[in-house]
Amino acid sequence: MMTSAPQSFREASARLRVQGLLDAGSFTEWLGPARRITSPHLAALDAPVSFDDGVVVGQGLLEAQLVVVIAQEGLFNGGAVGEVHGAKIRGALLRAIEVRARAVLLCVDSGGVRLHEANAGLIAISEIMRALFAAQAAGIPVIALVGGTCGAFGGMGIVARLCDALLISEEGRLGLSGPEVIETVKGVEEFDSRDRALVWRITGGKIRRTLGEATLLLDDDIAAFRAAAAKEMMGSKTMGDSPRQRGLSPDALQTLEAAQRHLEARAALDPGIRDGQQVWQHMGLGEEVALMDPAEFNRCLEARER
Amino acid sequence: MNAPQPHRVWNQEAQRRQARLQRSVPFAHGKEVAPADMVSLLEALLEPGDRVCLEGNNQKQADFLSESLAACSPQRVHDLHLVQSVLALPSHMELFEKGIARRLDFSFAGPQAHRLARLVQSHSIEIGAIHTYLELFGRYFIDLTPQVCLIAAQAADAEGNLYLGSNTEDTPVIVEATAFKSGIVIAQVNERVDRLPRVDIPAGWVDFFVVAPTSNHIEPLFTRDPRHITEIQVLMAMMAIKGIYAEYGVERLNHGIGFDTAAIELLLPTYGASLGLKGKVARHWALNPHPTLIPAIEAGFVERVHSFGSEVGMEAYVAARPDVFFTGADGSLRSNRAFCQTAGLYACDMFIGSTLQMDLAGNSSTATLGRITGFGGAPNMGSDARGRRHASPAWLKAGRERSGGGTQVRGQKLVVQTVETWHEPHHPTFVERLDAWQLMEDMGMALPPIMIYGDDVSHVVTEEGIANLLLCRSPEEREQAIRGVAGYTPVGRARDRTLVENLRDRGVIRRPEDMGIDVRDATRDLLAARSIKDLVRASGGLYQPPKQFRNW
Repeated sequence: MMTSAPQSFREASARLRVQGLLDAGSFTEWLGPARRITSPHLAALDAPVSFDDGVVVGQGLLEAQLVVVIAQEGLFNGGAVGEVHGAKIRGALLRAIEVRARAVLLCVDSGGVRLHEANAGLIAISEIMRALFAAQAAGIPVIALVGGTCGAFGGMGIVARLCDALLISEEGRLGLSGPEVIETVKGVEEFDSRDRALVWRITGGKIRRTLGEATLLLDDDIAAFRAAAAKEMMGSKTMGDSPRQRGLSPDALQTLEAAQRHLEARAALDPGIRDGQQVWQHMGLGEEVALMDPAEFNRCLEARER
Repeated sequence: MNAPQPHRVWNQEAQRRQARLQRSVPFAHGKEVAPADMVSLLEALLEPGDRVCLEGNNQKQADFLSESLAACSPQRVHDLHLVQSVLALPSHMELFEKGIARRLDFSFAGPQAHRLARLVQSHSIEIGAIHTYLELFGRYFIDLTPQVCLIAAQAADAEGNLYLGSNTEDTPVIVEATAFKSGIVIAQVNERVDRLPRVDIPAGWVDFFVVAPTSNHIEPLFTRDPRHITEIQVLMAMMAIKGIYAEYGVERLNHGIGFDTAAIELLLPTYGASLGLKGKVARHWALNPHPTLIPAIEAGFVERVHSFGSEVGMEAYVAARPDVFFTGADGSLRSNRAFCQTAGLYACDMFIGSTLQMDLAGNSSTATLGRITGFGGAPNMGSDARGRRHASPAWLKAGRERSGGGTQVRGQKLVVQTVETWHEPHHPTFVERLDAWQLMEDMGMALPPIMIYGDDVSHVVTEEGIANLLLCRSPEEREQAIRGVAGYTPVGRARDRTLVENLRDRGVIRRPEDMGIDVRDATRDLLAARSIKDLVRASGGLYQPPKQFRNW
């Protein structure tokens, strides 16, 4: 590189993300491109296939700790989950238990289930969830990284919320039904998916962090994601200290009560609030929110949460 | 010796002006006209066959006056001769469809190009000529002087002094030509105020003004969202910076308005700085306040910018950077299309811009069949000013290359065309014959509408490399140099491989690797801003982009 310009997480391919997240040269891919394990369903429909079925899985080192990394490729069918794609993610999560990984980094960049594969894709999502719980039960924290062009929607939106930590960039998006789906089903009056400002005010990283659904807001910079993921990993001091694991420990009651208080506070919000802007107004924040950089924004929220 | 003829009247124009003003009296209170009276006023003072300039700029539009004129009765107002730089509004075309206007001399008709072509084919319009801006402005003082002009300003005071705001554009040149040749000047303003921030047009030159019911329309024409810049455009920008800006030491320049040149603007503070070019290239600009220029300004690359017009959302940023931009004592931008075009033609060493089609002689055109777009500003700035006398290193070096070691009596402007070999799927940029020739035949024009003449072009930049046409010694070499960077287009595939390799050995054609550029480095991560929000941040929150460019 001829300059030290930040490398965009949003614009990088899944492979570049993996390369930038891990210690240099430490990545070993499982079922790599040369194996050509592609989707039989897409082939049957005569649709283009991809040599990795749109997901990169493998192991490597993060700050010299063994981690498993999973990265969806948003450029292939919108990162949608099919049978092979889902099996790779599930297998990687289970393999993390076997190799006693320190953490799993899950780069979600997906619109949800691949419609071409319908039931196989839906089953894949539930298998991913079970594998994720198994990893967590084995004390391995799973960290979601959301900052790709497709965001984390549909089944992968739910998977992202099951993780121990969810790191998101301002450009990242998180939701269940995507904007286009809502517009198609409910009409443009309900949700104008072409109003980019509206889409980000409702699904974007800032509002998700504000509502407590994301752990931390980050710059659109692979190095920032790496640093934050490493910090989350180190934060769970030893194996068996993932927050899920703590949920089963003696202070479980406190954890659950805190979560309950958070949900109650959210339920108490004015039901007329339909937009991120109104949430911030309700918190006494003005238009300055839009231009705050992530560090400033995290500080602002942390001060209020205290 | 003949004695002066005693019966000849020497102030007929002034008398005619007085008669027009007399007829207008019932429809005005002093100089102020109520919006509801504007149609009556125009019907009273206009005469059939009048030459009228209806201020249509690139950006600012006298839209209320245009609609008022279109609402006039064709029985009373007809056969007008419009002399205006840009036809942008539907109401401009209505004038011809209704017979209010018959003849047209203009420069650019981008948004109405299709409708204009249909009017020409149905013989509903006579086109005098399609001009570059400077030509049309020049003719305002020679043979196309308006008898009435309808202009747009930001504000007026009670006396009729005008403040033009950031978008001065054509207004001064139109008013100068009209007011000083016994014409009538009518202005629409957005507001009447007690005290103007500054007086741009004195009341003595203004006959009437109207506070328009809605503010005049201004298009954000020069905002390019960095998220649409591709890696190919980044690569071409790297080649342009290293192979041309650095090589010739280009300090004074003008940029086109496409994504190709926006990429260059965003690469100056990153890639340009890594080559040590700060303070050495791209210091003085003839350019509108492009938002994509913000990072290069903040990095200290750009020292000075003079503008044709303005750009929506850049007002506060410009006002906060008076060392860079031309501003009035009130702090707001002062632009001027006529002066900035002159600066682009005579005081700049380089023009770089894009086009839709280029032929084997380097002629380029943005004409497409069934549309008459006209020219605008690119041909003035994208041409070698053969009357130029002052020297600069870039101008001298280019002149030396063209003269090929012979006696050098003049320099040469760098006129660079930066194009991808295919501008969209199935549409090669490089062609054997421009669509402009077909358009000429269809429309009965005297000449094909060529935007930049091939003999003015010094370099062609594509993703395949740079062709330096200054070093070509024959039309055949020129043709092969262009074919040699035309990629997989039919024109590119018909290259003579041996000749092209010879040209490469001589440095006429240079590939990225010949310039020490690794194409793998050409990523969007080199852009100093990758989104509109990055631009807002780079401006310290001063740039306020219009709604359609925001995702917040």
